Amino acid sequence: MTDEVEVTVTVNGRTRQSRVEPRRLLVDYLRHDLGLTGAHIGCEQGVCGACTVLLDGRTARSCLHFAVTVDGSDIRTVEDLADLDELHPIQEMFHQKHALQCGFCTPGFLLTAVELLERTADPDEATIREALMNNVCRCTGYANIVDAVAEAAVELRRGHGA
Amino acid sequence: MSSDTQGAVGQSVLRREDDYLLRGQGRFVDDLPTPLNTLHLAFVLSPYAHARITSIDTSAALALDGVVDVLTGADLAAMVKPIAAQIELPGYSFNTRDVLAVDEVRFAGEAVAVVVAESQYLAEDGIELVEVDYEPLPAVTDIHEATDPAAPQVNPTVPGNVYFEGRFATEGVAAGFDTAAHVISEDFNSNRVTAVPIEPRGCLAVPEQPANLVFYSSTQIHHLLRTALAEFLDVAESNLRVVVPDVGGGFGIKAALYPEEFVCAALALRLRRPVKWIQDRYGALLTDVHARDNHYRVEAAIDDDGIVLALRAEIRTNGGAYSALPFGCTLETTGGARMIVGPYRITEYEYTATAVATHTAPVLAYRGVAQPVCFMAIEGIMDRIARRLGLDPAEVRLRNMVPTAELPWTNIVGVRYDTGSFVESLEMAMEMANYDEFRASQAQGRLVDGKYRGIGICSFTEVSGTGAPGWRARGLTRLPGFDSGTVKVEPTGKVTAFVSHAHSGQGHFTTFAQVVADALGARLEDVTVVEGDTAAGPYGTNTFASRSAVTGGGALIRASEKARLKLARIAAFMLESTPEDIVVSDGRMHVAGVPSRALSFQEVAETAYAMNTSDLPEGESFGIEETDFYDPPLVTMANATHIAQVAVDAADGTVDIEGYVVVHDCGRVINPMIVDGQVMGGVAQGIGEALMEEFVYDPDGGVRTATLMDYLLPSSVDVPNYQIAHIESPSIDTVGGFKGVGEGGLIGAVAALVNAVADALSDLDVNVNTKPLRPALLSRLIREAGG
Amino acid sequence: MKPAPFSFVAPESLGEVVRTLAEHGDDAQILAGGQSLVPLMNLRLARPEVVVSINRCHELDYIRLADDRLVIGALVRQIDAETSPLVQAECPLLAKALPHVGLPATRNRGTVCGSLAHCDPLAELPAVALALEAEVVLTNVAGERRVPAHDFFVAEMTTCIEPGEVVSAVTFARQDPGERSAVGEVSNGGHVFPVGGVALRWASSDGICTMARIAAFGVGSVAQRLGDAERALVGSDVGPAAIAAAVAAARSEVDPTGDIHADADYRRHLVGVLLERGLLEGSVHD
Ligand SMILES: Cc1cc2nc3c(=O)[nH]c(=O)nc-3n(C[C@@H](O)[C@H](O)[C@H](O)COP(=O)(O)OP(=O)(O)OC[C@H]3O[C@@H](n4cnc5c(N)ncnc54)[C@H](O)[C@@H]3O)c2cc1C
Ligand code: FES
Ligand code: FES
Repeated sequence: MTDEVEVTVTVNGRTRQSRVEPRRLLVDYLRHDLGLTGAHIGCEQGVCGACTVLLDGRTARSCLHFAVTVDGSDIRTVEDLADLDELHPIQEMFHQKHALQCGFCTPGFLLTAVELLERTADPDEATIREALMNNVCRCTGYANIVDAVAEAAVELRRGHGA
Repeated sequence: MSSDTQGAVGQSVLRREDDYLLRGQGRFVDDLPTPLNTLHLAFVLSPYAHARITSIDTSAALALDGVVDVLTGADLAAMVKPIAAQIELPGYSFNTRDVLAVDEVRFAGEAVAVVVAESQYLAEDGIELVEVDYEPLPAVTDIHEATDPAAPQVNPTVPGNVYFEGRFATEGVAAGFDTAAHVISEDFNSNRVTAVPIEPRGCLAVPEQPANLVFYSSTQIHHLLRTALAEFLDVAESNLRVVVPDVGGGFGIKAALYPEEFVCAALALRLRRPVKWIQDRYGALLTDVHARDNHYRVEAAIDDDGIVLALRAEIRTNGGAYSALPFGCTLETTGGARMIVGPYRITEYEYTATAVATHTAPVLAYRGVAQPVCFMAIEGIMDRIARRLGLDPAEVRLRNMVPTAELPWTNIVGVRYDTGSFVESLEMAMEMANYDEFRASQAQGRLVDGKYRGIGICSFTEVSGTGAPGWRARGLTRLPGFDSGTVKVEPTGKVTAFVSHAHSGQGHFTTFAQVVADALGARLEDVTVVEGDTAAGPYGTNTFASRSAVTGGGALIRASEKARLKLARIAAFMLESTPEDIVVSDGRMHVAGVPSRALSFQEVAETAYAMNTSDLPEGESFGIEETDFYDPPLVTMANATHIAQVAVDAADGTVDIEGYVVVHDCGRVINPMIVDGQVMGGVAQGIGEALMEEFVYDPDGGVRTATLMDYLLPSSVDVPNYQIAHIESPSIDTVGGFKGVGEGGLIGAVAALVNAVADALSDLDVNVNTKPLRPALLSRLIREAGG
Repeated sequence: MKPAPFSFVAPESLGEVVRTLAEHGDDAQILAGGQSLVPLMNLRLARPEVVVSINRCHELDYIRLADDRLVIGALVRQIDAETSPLVQAECPLLAKALPHVGLPATRNRGTVCGSLAHCDPLAELPAVALALEAEVVLTNVAGERRVPAHDFFVAEMTTCIEPGEVVSAVTFARQDPGERSAVGEVSNGGHVFPVGGVALRWASSDGICTMARIAAFGVGSVAQRLGDAERALVGSDVGPAAIAAAVAAARSEVDPTGDIHADADYRRHLVGVLLERGLLEGSVHD
């Protein structure tokens, strides 16, 4: 009954085929089967957002999905944002603005910011704060994260304009 | 010889640790690659606060495919001695804890058995199959009820459920109260909270040949952990290596030594396989140390000008079911009693401070320790003095503060305030907050557009960088105070600095490099910091209680200075000069006044490491590797003022924070950006504590807040933008002039917010002396007052 | 916190879903967005033997008008309903409520029907369903039945769904163009459920209220329609006196319970506060 099931997903542009137990959480699949440890586990209750990934382009809690449920989906994790030389503009702004301390929550925040800025090129502070409710940070007090996202929006708009 | 490298210290240098963390390449304990044969642990937690364990049947769990072993308290007792905090205070009731409960459980969440399995999923399947029979017994969770003679006894060696009662009084207290024009008294209640770092705890024990155990733990105190593992597991300390990987926030709760760590290490040694344990959030909420379940009764004798003539405090703190290691259940008790006097000239003081045992999770350090509550109390008293006498709350504080001109000043419990800016920080914060204008606008009434508006101040001292004498004064005789640094100039001239700290997000790799670069005369980019590994660098007391800048910074400066002297001696020999004439700066050395007679660190280091044809001066040893230790004074006092401006909705009781100002003085600032980060993060936690967070037990000790749906954390929409400014009053008592900064954000926020809400509602004459100030509570106060 | 083992089926049609449910009876549980079910499974408070995922049932992913009602299929994610022009035009109350439901990431995956099926006493959508006179379409192998919202929600986490049935869709009354509506709630902190709230809509003609639908959540074990408050409004000018009467009626017809987040009196008080605010601030469009 609980035999392993075949799953095919595209993760960071690469097609992955695996056999997994139905109960295997997507976050465990990414972290322990694929070695993508950027998504972290902070609660497994959907609250903290440390496990956030982009599932078919939208933020999702990887602790609240089974790998089998997302069969056929496209998944993007934090590992996909930067290239070898350069950080993604949002990552760069997190660095410039000191928007991370322990960094445990950070991958989740980055993906939330990616989703926000893909939908809203020029968000105001209230919009940014609403969007960041997706994730909990216990270290930074949020202000620098809000700043970093606002600045990244400017940076990204400039990039598109150029 | 001198170093004229100007200033890495003081610059907002961007962090080195960011790049890999941003790429998702952090290595937190659950991210570490594990050997394929790693075993996983899951603990069976008691649902009861107090029960006798009548039987444990492990057979069904053992029969599950993939379960390797199931052990109970009796099994572990044969491997790990009962653990105990060492506190030497008169009358302290010593108590011990079995790493797994043996006959009796004393709080909901105490572990009674452990399942060892091939995967975490299987381990959790296993715990469901362990059949434990409990005989529930009456429990007590409340600090007042616990000392009722009829209350159930929590711990057999803690008679009457009193762990400790401390008393202190100066001679003139009674006289102070006799002559007082007014006596202001109040009870303050503080809610139980816990730190909730987003990364739960975890450890990985990997046996390596020969007989060595490498123990990775998300701890803040790797040296103390290693010593304790050696002691309680009875293994040679030299065969243990504790490594701290990246840690996802600690805030004090990871500066405790937990049963799971001892169990994990013991099982790895016994089963000769790597053993891993990763805590889940449920376990974190139930078993991480808690904090702040305190009650303060404070009385102040004042004259007609609002000057405090004498102060009395009766403090009760909930220590939980066991005295947790390493600081013990009296940490909040002695802390609150000693810190409440704050920046004020309190000359007559009396306290009774009691640590009480209850059937709840052990209580230990959480950012701020006792200070968020003792300042809620004393700052609450300052506001009450103002209201009683019709004075402005800021004025009352200014009248009672120790002015800068009178520093250094030794407070009534013997703590020296070497430098500071109590008055200046308050005045500056008032200016930034437009305090006077705000007060003027209140004259028309505090209720405008359906919201009561108020402003609240917290001026406080922040204990940091405590040295051995400071811990001795609180009975912690086995807790060192020093930390250590080793500075090594490598053959290539690059610098490796080892420090006895372990970071959990503070940016040590950046800030300590700044300190070493300046003290050594190296280029910042040439300095690499290594920490969090007992195999790399000497012993120290590690990272808690806002210590790292003071103790690690001090130790690294001393070690750097030794290394710089050696560089100078060798350079002088090579340049045919004298060490006194060698200037070290920017990774080079030259003869004073003759910049052309210069050598790079590399050229000098090659001599030191015998990698060229130059000789070492007579009697000089090879290498450039210097170590030093630094024990700071009793206490290093930082200070700050927070001012919060709030609007309380008259109809629904919600609180909006409309303005937030911090003026902070942590002495010499190493990295302003990082200091601001510490302040902002702390304020957010203080907002959580003041407005929403609360860990709740049923009267019978069952847990009501076992998920983050029930234990609430502040989010991006719950916190304001912060206005932060610094005053720098370098410490004259510490090497480097640094003071700690880790906790002040939280300490100040709690009292500032409680006072702001109280101020907002002050026209209604309601008493705000408790927290968290959730909408339901505030709405009730408003309705009861007819507002 | 890892879920207990289960077996997994992901049918690709509604027919297959109901056949699978019929086969496994009580042992089977529907998985939609998983934003309520998976937390419970992680805590092992829910442990279905067979998880029937409807996430591949694309035929259930639709929002359309039919028989003069707005119909939302079982696979419609909350975010898609929130941003749907059809929902915004036909049921602005629903569009206003959705941003309050959880967080962006949970709305990206959670479904409208899943929230109704889950029936959390603090959830917004059951109250919206009452105010919009929703009908829940329940399908099993034998066919379908339509259950009005007020019969569908039974108690905390309990609906009238029978073993073998799936919520295949929900239908809502279309709001008239001139109608006003509002959703209000209060929470103790940003991340999670509110402690209580109100969803309401009303219409007026020549300054006189002709229709009012008011529902509250967090005031009992299940969302509640506030009939007395509605009656206090209909026929009134929705002026201060009428609002005060409606507020008083609302407070007396709810019977909230207290918990660690808020006491019963506060919740009773809050219903009135939010109702008054909704009536004063309610708008035609968001
Ligand atoms: C952090 C967090 C915060 C949240 N905050 C809120 C909030 O503020 N307000 C709120 O309302 N919700 C909130 N939620 C829950 C919300 O996100 C869920 O989306 C919703 O309750 C359930 O929808 P779902 O599609 O995810 O259902 P699932 O989790 O898949 O299912 C929930 C239950 O409904 C049953 N079910 C689902 N679909 C059907 C169907 N078609 N037929 C029959 N049975 C079905 C399932 O079997 C299960 O019992 C929150 C969740 C999280 C994780
Ligand atoms: S781990 Fe997924 S939301 Fe916290
Ligand atoms: S940086 Fe530590 S939790 Fe966000």
